[in-house]
Amino acid sequence: MIRLKNIHKSFNQNKALDDLCLEVNQGEIYGLLGANGAGKSTTMNLLLGFLQADSGSIEVFDSQNNLNNKNVKIGYIAENVNLYPYLSGLENLDYFCKIAGIKYKTEELKELLSECGLESDAHNKSTSAYSKGMRQKVGIAIALAKDASIYLLDEPASGLDPLASNELSEILKKLASKGATILMASHDIFRVRETCNKIGILKKGKLVNEILSKDVSSNQLEEIYINFMKN
Amino acid sequence: MINILVNELKGFLRNKLFIFLSLFFLIALCVVTFFGIIQNKKQVEAQKIAKEHIRLQWDEMEPSNPHSAAHFGTYAFKSTSILNSIDEGINSVTGNVLRLEGHKQNDVAFSEASQSLLISKFGKLKPALIFQFIIPLFLIFFSFNSYTSERSNGRLKLLLIQGVSLKQIVFAKAFSIWIIGVVLLLASVLVQLLFNSTQLSADTLLRLTLLLSVYAVYFFIIVNLTVLLSVVFKNSTSALSLTILIWVIWTIFLPSTIGKTAEEIFPLPTRIDLKESMAEDRSKGINGHNPREDRRQALEKATLEKYKVEKLQDLPINFSGILMQEDEEYGNKVWDKHFGSLYNQLKAQKYIYQIFGVVNPFISLQNLSMGMSGTDMHHHLSFLNQAEKYRRVFIKSLNDEYAFGGSKTGERGWKASNEFFRSVKEFQYQNPTFRSFYSKYAIDFFILLFWFFILLILLSFSSRKTLDI
Repeated sequence: MIRLKNIHKSFNQNKALDDLCLEVNQGEIYGLLGANGAGKSTTMNLLLGFLQADSGSIEVFDSQNNLNNKNVKIGYIAENVNLYPYLSGLENLDYFCKIAGIKYKTEELKELLSECGLESDAHNKSTSAYSKGMRQKVGIAIALAKDASIYLLDEPASGLDPLASNELSEILKKLASKGATILMASHDIFRVRETCNKIGILKKGKLVNEILSKDVSSNQLEEIYINFMKN
Repeated sequence: MINILVNELKGFLRNKLFIFLSLFFLIALCVVTFFGIIQNKKQVEAQKIAKEHIRLQWDEMEPSNPHSAAHFGTYAFKSTSILNSIDEGINSVTGNVLRLEGHKQNDVAFSEASQSLLISKFGKLKPALIFQFIIPLFLIFFSFNSYTSERSNGRLKLLLIQGVSLKQIVFAKAFSIWIIGVVLLLASVLVQLLFNSTQLSADTLLRLTLLLSVYAVYFFIIVNLTVLLSVVFKNSTSALSLTILIWVIWTIFLPSTIGKTAEEIFPLPTRIDLKESMAEDRSKGINGHNPREDRRQALEKATLEKYKVEKLQDLPINFSGILMQEDEEYGNKVWDKHFGSLYNQLKAQKYIYQIFGVVNPFISLQNLSMGMSGTDMHHHLSFLNQAEKYRRVFIKSLNDEYAFGGSKTGERGWKASNEFFRSVKEFQYQNPTFRSFYSKYAIDFFILLFWFFILLILLSFSSRKTLDI
């Protein structure tokens, strides 16, 4: 579970987050929509521990309900997954697993890559020849390999083709059904509507609206979003 | 950390530019080391031939006057060790041979050796030049963005999320680059061991091990500094610019400035001033060819009393030999007074220079490199002292033969036999062991370790923070 209470964060007098309150429950996929500079990445960085809030509190619980435990496993997928270009996709996945202290057999890693949509003939190719989408798939595999209880996704579908994007949605739903807590920041209204249970709209660091996806269609969501952005 | 280190090394080994440069340096080092060994062997052979030739000259010397033989003189050779082929030090300007003659002592203080603090290492391609100037640059170029590239492309976040600490990442990166420097060092040492296995004494091995350790520590300092700047500045261009600037200051600007400062603090007299004051001192005393009358008379009186005769012609010995030895000894006193203080000035300059290692570890490295190779000022002064001691014994044996070998006062044409000249022992240089010299380098060791630990602490401190990456 993720809980942000009255978070304030400024960079050189510029407010990035203004009294942000947000809660993502266990087994829930929360979509964070917002324009560039709305505060989505700042929220992610606060949760990842790369930034410190000026005020407010951040609580991250694992599946055993341990609060802010150092051992809480967090899976993270960045908008641009930069892998080691001198390693193959399989080697990259193996490396990131090793440093996380997770042991997988080569076959298991290959299976994971295939599950994330990476063609098997690309597994052993150098990632320097990978497209953005292929790198993204390896990034998803790295996050999933951790078998985390919390997943933070910053534009995870960026660069993915519609099929792979749909596969990602299915994977995330499966994870949520197993009890994972997922926070996903995105610009893709359709994908957010399809994947998430709850959607928050961020504007200038403030959470201006929260909607349950089952209550709106994609078109309605787009309309709501645009209205908030214009006003 | 091991996984990160292995991955970093894998990255280097799969980088074509790195492989090309590493191979280039590896081959260059092996070639330079190999040619250094060949050159050293040639020098040893040339010294051996010259020594044999001089020995032969003395062995075959026809009966002649010992005083003429004293002016004929001989030569002292400083034997070179295999370590000289790594760092030639001040040998390139002082040379390894010294002429020994009656009345004439060496005047190293006014040879280029007196400028040993300022001697540029550029010019002669020796492994030391590659170790001191080129490999550090190579290490800088491969470490300046090792951290910043991870940060700028977002991979650092991914690494940290996997549970490794920033400290582990930073140190694994620094270690991986340092290992490359050490491998290059080991390659050079391996070539030395391969081609010089028969010449390896315990002292040489100790020196070689210390030399290797000292360079390894310096490489660690360079890599740590570069990585530290990249962590602090979070920007590759700033880190590279600043590291290169520091490298230039350390290797080019500061050694010369500090050398000049040391000379300002402990200045040496000019050659003219010294010669004049020595001549003045000498003129006040006995001169072999033109002795001052009162001192000559005192010596004459003492000798006549000792042999209980009234005239020099009645002496059973040759008074000229005694007179010449007395003059020699007085000359030695004058030399000891003037050059002794000059040597002390040189040592004081060297000490000041060493102290400045606190602001420039490159100075400590250079001092230790030359010291371990036996080619620094301390080793050269040891050679000069040994040669001077030998010269005094050598001249005394000639003067004694002239005085007590059978001639009488006034027998200017008297000649010593060939057997006597054959019995004159030649100079044998005893290379000082490192153990006898280690105290002279303690300060350099200490300063280098000081830099090592300071940078270790700073890097450790700067990589504690994971926020704001």
